[in-house]
Amino acid sequence: MHDFIERITAYIHWALFLILEAFSGFLLFQYNHYQGSIWFTQANTVVGIVHEWEAKALSYLRMPAENAALVRRNIILQQNLDNLRHELAEAKGDTSLSQKTQEELIEGMTLIPARIIDNSVRKRDNMLVIDVGSEDGVAPEMGVLSGTGVVGIVSGVTPHHALVMSILNSHSSISCRLRGTEYFGYLKWKGGRPLRAYMDDVPRHAHIEKGDIVETSGFSNVFPAGIFLGKVAEIKNSSDGLAYELEILLSTDIANLRHVNVINNLIKEELDSLKAQ
Amino acid sequence: MIVSTLKRLFWALILLAVQVLILDQVHPWGYGAPLLCPLIIITLPMGTSRSAALLWGFGVGFVADIFAGTSGISSAALTFIAFIQPPLLELMAPRDSEEELHPSFSTMGRWNYLQFIALLLLLHHLVYFALEGFSYFHIVDIAISMGVSYAASLLLIILIEHVRNPQK
Repeated sequence: MHDFIERITAYIHWALFLILEAFSGFLLFQYNHYQGSIWFTQANTVVGIVHEWEAKALSYLRMPAENAALVRRNIILQQNLDNLRHELAEAKGDTSLSQKTQEELIEGMTLIPARIIDNSVRKRDNMLVIDVGSEDGVAPEMGVLSGTGVVGIVSGVTPHHALVMSILNSHSSISCRLRGTEYFGYLKWKGGRPLRAYMDDVPRHAHIEKGDIVETSGFSNVFPAGIFLGKVAEIKNSSDGLAYELEILLSTDIANLRHVNVINNLIKEELDSLKAQ
Repeated sequence: MIVSTLKRLFWALILLAVQVLILDQVHPWGYGAPLLCPLIIITLPMGTSRSAALLWGFGVGFVADIFAGTSGISSAALTFIAFIQPPLLELMAPRDSEEELHPSFSTMGRWNYLQFIALLLLLHHLVYFALEGFSYFHIVDIAISMGVSYAASLLLIILIEHVRNPQK
């Protein structure tokens, strides 16, 4: 009996090894269900606080560059505003139904400003953590924007932080279209370079040129239609040869982001409830 | 025993802090950043029980995972090398070494210790990047990320080890 116990204990590390590896595997697998595992991620309160300290410390070092970027963004926004005012004045002459609904859509939304406190671009499934949470009105499925375009979608919230699935994530899929056309597809990231993503399922009869603008389609209710995603960089055949696969140069450099806005899409719930009926 | 465990814990916390607060924020060309945590396992002294080594590996990996958002990946990779480290150390340590040998350039010899680090780090990176990449990434991209991260980690670890315990 004693011999038996001794033999068992001599091999106990094998059992421990298998148990620990199995548990790691469980965590790895579990992580695919983002919402369920919020407490095991960077958005849990303790981790969030540590990253917040760090972000605060770093933000002092980055202040000059940050200021320059903000000024630049301000100028661009000012230009956009002027252009839009101009276009709106022209469009007012024959206000069509679709324009009206779009205006109403934008009216229904508020933006929640946030700061990124943790960020990555080198993984297969990149996530961001921002310093606003459920107490600031953030909820899962809300869109996140920067001054240059789409950043991602909120996937989980704690009271003061939110975990955002970056567009640089293998699970991210954003409904998009080519500006000025009726060609729709999904924007997906396939790893590797943080500025390159792909738009699938573009029909072969579509007339596409390099440099065409890709924007959100507005189908998903997460983002309003017409938000800038990027430009067509390369036109390729899809793997089955039945459609085009467009390589997109993304407009937002996620690696160098600090400030973002969460879209609080108030009428999303109404739309969802209408769909459910 | 308790003092050395506390010392080790302190050392692990410092390395984890450097990893999480500095190295994880560096994205050289969007590719792999150096991974320092394997050093905690590499330097476990001879005579550490195999179960204790495994718990160290898993514990350090678990914390690194939570902070980096790579849940399961670091813990799997570090548990794996913690399983390999004790027998590998027995194999590569000099014959006449003391019973509680602390692996370093001075105790194991420059060439031996370098091989020891390079091998354990390679095993760690193979598991880490295999789990992270799965079949989704293009294989070339994983290989580049792994290569960049391996080279950066190896250089950094050798540097730290030289500063920490210079060769006599």
